[in-house]
Amino acid sequence: MTNTQALISWAILVFLTVLSVYLGQIIHSTTLFSVFIFAIVFFKGQLITDIFMELKYAPSRWRIIMLGYVLIVPSIICAIYLI
Amino acid sequence: MNNNNLLINDKKLPGDLAMWFFILAELTVFAMFFIGFAITEYLNQQLFIEGKAQLHTASGVINTIALITSSLFVALSVNALHQNKVKQIVWYLIFALLFAFIYLFVKSWEYQSLFLQGIDIETNTFFTLYFLITAFHFLHVVLGMVILIFMLLKAVKNAYKENHSGFESGACYWHMVDMLWIILFPLIYVI
Repeated sequence: MTNTQALISWAILVFLTVLSVYLGQIIHSTTLFSVFIFAIVFFKGQLITDIFMELKYAPSRWRIIMLGYVLIVPSIICAIYLI
Repeated sequence: MNNNNLLINDKKLPGDLAMWFFILAELTVFAMFFIGFAITEYLNQQLFIEGKAQLHTASGVINTIALITSSLFVALSVNALHQNKVKQIVWYLIFALLFAFIYLFVKSWEYQSLFLQGIDIETNTFFTLYFLITAFHFLHVVLGMVILIFMLLKAVKNAYKENHSGFESGACYWHMVDMLWIILFPLIYVI
């Protein structure tokens, strides 16, 4: 990870945080909104895992575990909201 | 040995293996909290809509940005560590701690404003879960800050010159605290 990569990731994370709140104000369908929000959560989790934690350069099993977490947990929550 | 083997051998887990097992245990506990919250919301939809409407979304946004920024400074401090720039490590950790204090201040203010409205952990199921999950996360932020202060004191003495493992472990723990909030924030404040 370089300092530039860390700074770009930080800017994307802040943008996605503001975007998720903005989407909450313009999208009135809970179903659609939940899918959008948890897609954003996965993307943010991937940035933290790969860039901040530097698991992109670690043995792949640890990266898979962390990415699996930010994919599976939000997906389960999203599925509960979609029932 | 060919180039591919060299690349595979270069892949190294940052920090101690024990810390990663601790991180996995923490993530599992929070996963149960998050899923439990979603199931309870499914069973008490109106109560949760009313409860979320009483929360201060702006403070949630400020806290998210505070933790993300704190994580950025910790990531920068790890880079400075790899370049053995002691002064930069110290300053980055001080900034990381300052943003963590913003989180503590805003979260405490939020709790205080709810208490002033007569809302506490016994008000209803929504607020029981809200206080349990956010306070549990709050305690993790406090523990993470204690670790960051410990790292800062050791960095001042240039104690990480030979071995980076302890510093990287503390940094990864802090990123985990940030990652948990990334899931917690939309679950409780946004949806």
